[in-house]
Amino acid sequence: MDERTGTPSQIGESSDAFRLLKWTWRALFSRQELVVFILLVFVATFLGLWTDTFFSSNNLFSVLRAFSWIAIAAFGESMVIIIGGIDLSTGAVMALSGLISAIFMRAGLSVPLAIVAGLLTGGAVGWVNGTMVGRIRLPPFIVTLGTMSIARGIAFGLTGGWPVRDLPQSFRLLGQHQLPVGPWLVPLPVLFMLALAVLVGLLLGRTLLGRYIYTLNSSERALLVSGVNVVQLKVLVYTLCGLLTAVGGLLMTARLGVAAPTAAAGYELDIIAAAIIGGSSLFGGEGSIPGVLLGAAIMQMLRNGLVLLGFPVYWQSVTIGATILIAILLDYWRRRHTL
Amino acid sequence: MEPLLRAVNLSKSFGTLPVVKHISLEVYPGEVVGLAGRSGSGKSALCMLLAGLYNLDQGDIYFAGRKLRSPFRARALGVEVIHQKPDLADHLDISSNVFLGSEIGWPSMVKWLKVPNQRRMDKEAARILIQLDMRFSSLQEKVANLSSEQRQMIVIARAMTRPHKLIIIDDPTLLLSYPYQQKLLSLIQTWQQQGTAVIFSSNNLDHLLAVTDRIVVLRQGRRVAQFHTDATDREEIVAAIVGTSDRQQLTPIIWALDSYYRAREQAEKLRHSQALLERDLAAQDTLKRQLIDQLAEQINALDSANAALQAAQRRLLTELEKERKHLAREIHDQVIQDLLGVNYQLEEIGTDEAVTSAVKDELVDIREGIRILVGDLRRICGDLRPPTIDSLGLGAAIQSYTRDWAERTGISLTLDLDSGLGRLPEAIELSIFRIMQEGLRNVRKHAHAGAAQVCLRHTSPRALMVSIADDGQGLAPGFDLSKLSIEGHYGLLGISERVALLGGRLSLQNQASGGLLLQVEIPHPRVEVTRQSDEM
Repeated sequence: MDERTGTPSQIGESSDAFRLLKWTWRALFSRQELVVFILLVFVATFLGLWTDTFFSSNNLFSVLRAFSWIAIAAFGESMVIIIGGIDLSTGAVMALSGLISAIFMRAGLSVPLAIVAGLLTGGAVGWVNGTMVGRIRLPPFIVTLGTMSIARGIAFGLTGGWPVRDLPQSFRLLGQHQLPVGPWLVPLPVLFMLALAVLVGLLLGRTLLGRYIYTLNSSERALLVSGVNVVQLKVLVYTLCGLLTAVGGLLMTARLGVAAPTAAAGYELDIIAAAIIGGSSLFGGEGSIPGVLLGAAIMQMLRNGLVLLGFPVYWQSVTIGATILIAILLDYWRRRHTL
Repeated sequence: MEPLLRAVNLSKSFGTLPVVKHISLEVYPGEVVGLAGRSGSGKSALCMLLAGLYNLDQGDIYFAGRKLRSPFRARALGVEVIHQKPDLADHLDISSNVFLGSEIGWPSMVKWLKVPNQRRMDKEAARILIQLDMRFSSLQEKVANLSSEQRQMIVIARAMTRPHKLIIIDDPTLLLSYPYQQKLLSLIQTWQQQGTAVIFSSNNLDHLLAVTDRIVVLRQGRRVAQFHTDATDREEIVAAIVGTSDRQQLTPIIWALDSYYRAREQAEKLRHSQALLERDLAAQDTLKRQLIDQLAEQINALDSANAALQAAQRRLLTELEKERKHLAREIHDQVIQDLLGVNYQLEEIGTDEAVTSAVKDELVDIREGIRILVGDLRRICGDLRPPTIDSLGLGAAIQSYTRDWAERTGISLTLDLDSGLGRLPEAIELSIFRIMQEGLRNVRKHAHAGAAQVCLRHTSPRALMVSIADDGQGLAPGFDLSKLSIEGHYGLLGISERVALLGGRLSLQNQASGGLLLQVEIPHPRVEVTRQSDEM
């Protein structure tokens, strides 16, 4: 390679500089996390200059808190996307798991047990998704569309459409308490998010489960013939996604202090967007936890920024949709150029 | 003994197309079972069923006495499968692929949470790959960049990462070059010695005959025959594969030699087009079916003609050898004895007082001439029929012949004989001797060599490899075996015909160091080979 760049002397230094530029460009675009990070810095600077409230720690932590449950659910979603699937039921699962916990708490069950019940709900929906997709080989889009509708329907049916209020203080603390870390007061959900990010990151990056997750989409047959239980792997990934989504749902419910069947409506799109913007490829096989964190941050900052800038709330969904499309186009473009 | 694997009445269809019909099969520990059949006969589908990758339509599979519900995970039972096409995870590196599904790591209890120990896997993978003669500059290389042969060998390495009870091999040799095919065959023997059962499906009859104990023949998804490898021959198996039964009606047509080769080529082409047509049969086109029947008849006729021709050729050679033996005996018992008698008489005359000293000198000259004549005649006898081959066997005959040859020609010759050569059938021993004789004659006449090397080794208990190497000028560029007869050189042609008749394989190539390497591999009935320690 060195020889080749060295020999054409007549082209001279300008072409070397050009090549360097091209190389940097390629390197930048081959790591989507980097692009997203630059975009994040850009948007943050813009909002900081334009409004005087954006960089207040109050606003920053409110952004962080709101995006933490999206990010936690997006960790699960990104695993599903990496194995070449998709989970549309995440928003409904967030609402349902929060609601189930709330109902049990109101029924007098202790808070930890109620939380376990909520988590189990999420895991169960994920297990159903995974079984349908992995064992029966149905398309994930259809399966999770179905479970989304079912979960949402159950949430409405359980309470007749009414929200559950007056949740115990100890539960609400989970979402509302702030821990002093250094000079800042950091909301508890943010700490949960960071802990889970490390945990899921290790799971994906270090363990066999992670290795197989990244391998599954492109080399399912290789895994199959070398004796890896592919069906169990798929069920496990969807179940983990349901479980993580339930964690997000519980934190959201704790923060809001009320469990409504209408909660988290449309969040599945935010969650999928966070995963995709962060570099999880809809074509499978790619994605990372830091990327998902950045993706979720961008999504939340866009929402927050649009409010601070005084745009009507309806335009938010237009922005989110456009961002998703741009992210997918970028992914597609990158695939075509690297393959 | 309890069978390790028992498959009972297996059936499988793809849609409406049945691929495996009511096949039963038993495999015992330490047994090598061959699967033979044309492509499309259901070999691969059967392997997939036994590997647990397809759902059974009908039938049961028992492994070590336990009934299995398909699809099952074969590797969890100690069953390794080597498929026709290598399935690798393209974005993982070589050692990760070798250990895919059996990664070394910690903790070993919880398989999903196991953290792979890359360094140990690299080390182990390197150890296994060296056993397979595979060398890579780095085991961290992604397998996407490797050749199909390398990929196939990685899959074979994968089968060696953990203890196995049964190895199912589904004809991976298509992607392998000759040395790696041999490697696989020797691995199969090693596995067999370790007590592992092997199911070996192959399109290559030589491979099947070399290593299997038993050959099961499939045709159109059915099991049609089973042969014990020691008690069968190639013709019988081919007949079962193509489905002819009229071996007896061989019409002895003697064709010219070149039309024989053309006919064989034609037969290959016809067989190929038949395979293509058979694929179209799914459409159930009756016209095509008739055509195929016709083609099958023609192929049968050609097969019969080939067989007849080969039989005739074989008879011819046998007659020739008999004639030579007769001639040698005649010369030895009659002419030489007579000459010796004459010699004795002359000696008598020489002792007579009445003979003058001038005549005595004359007589001494004549007797010297007779002695030389007898020596020449003895050598001719030896060429016609090696004297030791009947009594002491091939090894001794070759030893004495090569010693003689080196003395006569002044070309230094090293001989490397397999110590466990054993006695082979007369026809094979003679053929090998003639091949070696012809090969050395070529070295003397054409190669301008200063040194030569003859080597006889068993490559398997049922095959012998003869190689003759020299340091001469090698083959001329553009060398073509089929044109030799036109130019009037029958030496190499004779070798190739003998090899073809014995069902062997001939390879001629120039060595990197210059000079010709002639290699002949001849299959023969099983002999007890004493394994040598250098065979790994």
